Amino acid sequence: MKIDHSLPLEYSTEENRLKILGFWIFLGAEIMLFATLFASYFVLADRTGSGPAGSEIFELTPVLIETILLLTSSFTIGLGIHAMRIGNKKAMMTFFAVTLLLGLAFLGFEIFEFFHYVHVGAGLQTSAFTAMLLTTLGTHGAHVTFGFFWGLAILLQVKKRGLTPETTNKSFIFSLYWHFLDVVWIFIFSFVYLKGMM
Amino acid sequence: MNLKELFPRNQVIGFVFSLILTAAALTVYFLDLSFQAGMTVLLVTAFIQAAVQLVLFMHAGETEDKGAIYTNIYYGVIIALVTIFGTLLCMTWGYI
Repeated sequence: MKIDHSLPLEYSTEENRLKILGFWIFLGAEIMLFATLFASYFVLADRTGSGPAGSEIFELTPVLIETILLLTSSFTIGLGIHAMRIGNKKAMMTFFAVTLLLGLAFLGFEIFEFFHYVHVGAGLQTSAFTAMLLTTLGTHGAHVTFGFFWGLAILLQVKKRGLTPETTNKSFIFSLYWHFLDVVWIFIFSFVYLKGMM
Repeated sequence: MNLKELFPRNQVIGFVFSLILTAAALTVYFLDLSFQAGMTVLLVTAFIQAAVQLVLFMHAGETEDKGAIYTNIYYGVIIALVTIFGTLLCMTWGYI
């Protein structure tokens, strides 16, 4: 294996570099997946039938808390990658752990929010609007849930094996995924919640 | 441990900038803007925030794959916009 020491560890072999490029291509496909969800949501947002409208069920405070949690977790994983690049394993693991805890807190709020929606009579089958709303939010939430377990596995691997070309590569790719989820959330926050409450 | 070493300046600035953009997007909730004005504010703040994430946090342009990565992202975004606005055009706007 040819290791190029002029690059950060996660890019140090050709395989590593290609894996990162491959993951970017996957993220391109994810952009399109969420685009189809947003397209359906925008079309169905006013089709509330006999159920509630967005402005009646959205609440600013929990949504704002979710936004700050995810935004901060995106920042801390960025710091984790920085710590990884300067070879500080302990700091890297701390930042990754903080990121995952913030992700978990986000999920807690989102699950609470879903319970609230069902409680006020906005379930998956209430109207075209609620069905599409919960599908869009749920797809993002499922990504965060998957990300939590993925990140946890990587954290354990780094703890066990240290910072190697493989573990740093996995960590970096995971950071791309996590930042991407924050980008998707920014659009949900703006064009689902804020647009709905405007 | 040197804290400055763990908190690189540009990432801290990027984070603060993201918070400011979030606050700016909130104006559509607190101010009584028209639909068009509100959507303009949201579009501008959301896309700038997405760009901050891509460039600053995701290091999209730091290797020789920069061209391929940006081409791929632009392609994804174009397809996304065509999907969304194409759907709106034929499902909603065409019937107003």
